[in-house]
Amino acid sequence: MNNESYHKLKTRLFWMIAILAVWELTAQSGVFPTAIFPSLLIIARALGDSVVSGEIIIQTGFSLALILQGLLISLLAAIMISSLAISNKMVDGLVDTLVAIAHPLPGIALLPLIIIWFGTDTLSILVIIVHSVIWPLILNMMTGFRSIPTIYKEVGLNLGLNRFRIIKDILIPASLPYVLSGLRIGWARAWRALISAEMIFGAVGAKGGLGWYIFKQRVFMDTPGLFAGLFVIVLIGIIVEDFFFAVIEERTIKKWGMS
Amino acid sequence: MKSKILLPILAITLLSLTLVGCNTSSKVQENKLQIKIAEQYGLAYAPLQIMKEKQLLESKLPGIEVSWRQLGNTTAIREAMLAGELDVGFMAIPPFLIGWDKGMEWKIACGLSTSPIGLVVNKESIQSIADFTPEDRIALPQPGSIQHILLAMAADKLWGDPKRLDNQLVTLDHPDGMNALLAGSEISAHFTTPPYLFMELEEPGIHQILDGKEVMGEDFTFAVGVTTEKFYEKQPAVYEAFLEALAEAIKFMEGNPTETVNILAKAYQMDEAELANYLERSDTTYGLEVQGVMEFADFMQKYGLIKGQPANLKEVIWDGK
Amino acid sequence: MGNELIQLKSVEKYYQGSGKTLKVLENINLDIQQGEILAILGPSGCGKTTLLRQIAGFDHPHTGNILMDGQEIVKPEVKRMMIFQDFNQLFPWQTVMQNIVYPLQVHHVGDSVRANREIASKYLNLVELDGFEDSYPHQLSGGMKQKAAMARALALQPKVLLMDEPFGSLDALTRLSLQNLLLKVWRETGVTIVVVTHDIQEAILLSERIVVMGQRGSGGIKRIIPNSLARPRDVGTKGYAELYEQVYALLDV
Repeated sequence: MNNESYHKLKTRLFWMIAILAVWELTAQSGVFPTAIFPSLLIIARALGDSVVSGEIIIQTGFSLALILQGLLISLLAAIMISSLAISNKMVDGLVDTLVAIAHPLPGIALLPLIIIWFGTDTLSILVIIVHSVIWPLILNMMTGFRSIPTIYKEVGLNLGLNRFRIIKDILIPASLPYVLSGLRIGWARAWRALISAEMIFGAVGAKGGLGWYIFKQRVFMDTPGLFAGLFVIVLIGIIVEDFFFAVIEERTIKKWGMS
Repeated sequence: MKSKILLPILAITLLSLTLVGCNTSSKVQENKLQIKIAEQYGLAYAPLQIMKEKQLLESKLPGIEVSWRQLGNTTAIREAMLAGELDVGFMAIPPFLIGWDKGMEWKIACGLSTSPIGLVVNKESIQSIADFTPEDRIALPQPGSIQHILLAMAADKLWGDPKRLDNQLVTLDHPDGMNALLAGSEISAHFTTPPYLFMELEEPGIHQILDGKEVMGEDFTFAVGVTTEKFYEKQPAVYEAFLEALAEAIKFMEGNPTETVNILAKAYQMDEAELANYLERSDTTYGLEVQGVMEFADFMQKYGLIKGQPANLKEVIWDGK
Repeated sequence: MGNELIQLKSVEKYYQGSGKTLKVLENINLDIQQGEILAILGPSGCGKTTLLRQIAGFDHPHTGNILMDGQEIVKPEVKRMMIFQDFNQLFPWQTVMQNIVYPLQVHHVGDSVRANREIASKYLNLVELDGFEDSYPHQLSGGMKQKAAMARALALQPKVLLMDEPFGSLDALTRLSLQNLLLKVWRETGVTIVVVTHDIQEAILLSERIVVMGQRGSGGIKRIIPNSLARPRDVGTKGYAELYEQVYALLDV
């Protein structure tokens, strides 16, 4: 770990502790009832209970599995669509138009339509995730493809690579910085859309995700449980952002000097 | 160096002040006559509409400021009351008990209505809840709702297991639930109230397999009026006037059916004839007395939805016995 | 002669500008001999790069023909490897070794990964880049990148190396050392080299013949000057000054 990130971590830790301290002081001051402002201990206990009972773990796993599926489907589809679009002007125009139409639409705004078309099962949530991820991903991938120095393509042609190899071995790695930032945006959008969709849809039986967990705590007025759910959301956000993506970048574009 | 430490401290102080500020800003002048009421959509809440349109409360307490707020669901009303934004909210008994159990400082002020609640299915093969297969999905507004409790009661009676059907529930609000039931692909059953109940039963192939009153074994109040302790103690005059105005509204509905239909049709944007038909068919009755609180509390505690249990009605009803 | 590898016959290329036509290449007739180093020299914008790209197959003449071994050149091929001036011609996501092995794998040059790595090592050794097999391109200096690009091209055993001002962005000392390296590679592999340059000294030091092109818009070859100075050459070599004068006069700068 270098000096700069160590310093960043230190400041991050300082502020986290400070915020938690303010939180605890406010809770202890008794200005607010527990139902509005529970103390950290109560929240920790609620989190602990949910972990021990396995409830929050199962529901978090459910959400993560869904989002992973959604990301994977979107990534494959985006690669296919973008590859088609750069090979064919007509397809390019179509994709461009589709992105212009669909990209500004928040997934959650499509919810009523998605219920009518796909019902209320996990399929619908998957559709919302894919919708949230695929457009920024295509957008970034196309920008990435277009910004690739022509020299890579010319070298590829000179080396006698066929179209498939040019896409697979040149365009995709060369646009990886863009793909990764597309995935980052997509992940953030998908994660929000997933939690919101789960809160609105509710669950099909026991199969609810983290959003459903939070909704349930709300309905049963379990404020500490609510915070426990929020804590898990934040935790996953930090893990994915600061570790998952950071590690991928460290091992690819940073190592390659492409960032 | 000094300013390096000072700045974070300043930031923390500001942060704390903001948090406390959230609370104080919602406090209002308490000597002024005012009341904030949450309304919901549906026939069971009709007297509130009359009270609002005829300005019954305003005529009792000249100068009072009455504000009505439309909120989407019971949970939102409960949260608004918790935050001190509302004085009076109407809801079913189970969501009230959940809040009471969590230490909310509120009690029931009055009853409002009884209402039919029915579980309807779109499959000929289902004649009672015993016929549900694990694949059948049951739509209802949300867990902890009166529909959920009634379904759990029925399951408890049949199998001795109130949670038996819990894994088959789908949370959908009334309009979405109706659409899903009529679409017939994913939802087999919908636990709902009029007018959705009537609209669904008018469709071919839909029949009812469970009725709320049957499950309870007796009449129970569907919607109760709940007020915060702060309102009850600080605004006794308004509290009394509110109850009187509500009683007057109910009396008005009995005495002036035509004008009632008129007002409601406008408020609900419904056809007058259709509304009159619903009002006539419906077993919805209006009155201030409260029935069924202890029965719900007993069952919910047994089920584990609430931890404590009111020792007597005084604990949950203002001026209760 | 009878030893032509590549023949350019009446090659013409023009751009349609605003109202007037700009002749980029006009009536180019040129034979490139097997095994020679041919320098194409001219001021910037004279069309020398266009000419090289046409030989490579990236670009095509409007009229005329470019033949290699009697066959029309239609697209880039491995037997004519291009070395660009741009340092970024290596793939940054591959190590130096991977950059060289990858095309060998694609064309099944060696029958195993190991065989291909051995081939790659041989050429890395030829361009004096041993020890940098596992470096990524961004960790290399400009000169080393050009060496690696040469190794990648040579490993595919092309008939001709087409070099577009390959050392143009290097500092003077590095340029000199790479010029000497190129001559060593030429001696050891016998590959035909066409090098485009605007540096008179570079043209004289490297080539067997110098093609001097005219100013931008004139579009043609001014003269082809044979260069038979004794090797190794430097600015003190007998005849250098005269040749320099002759070329310089033709460039009318």
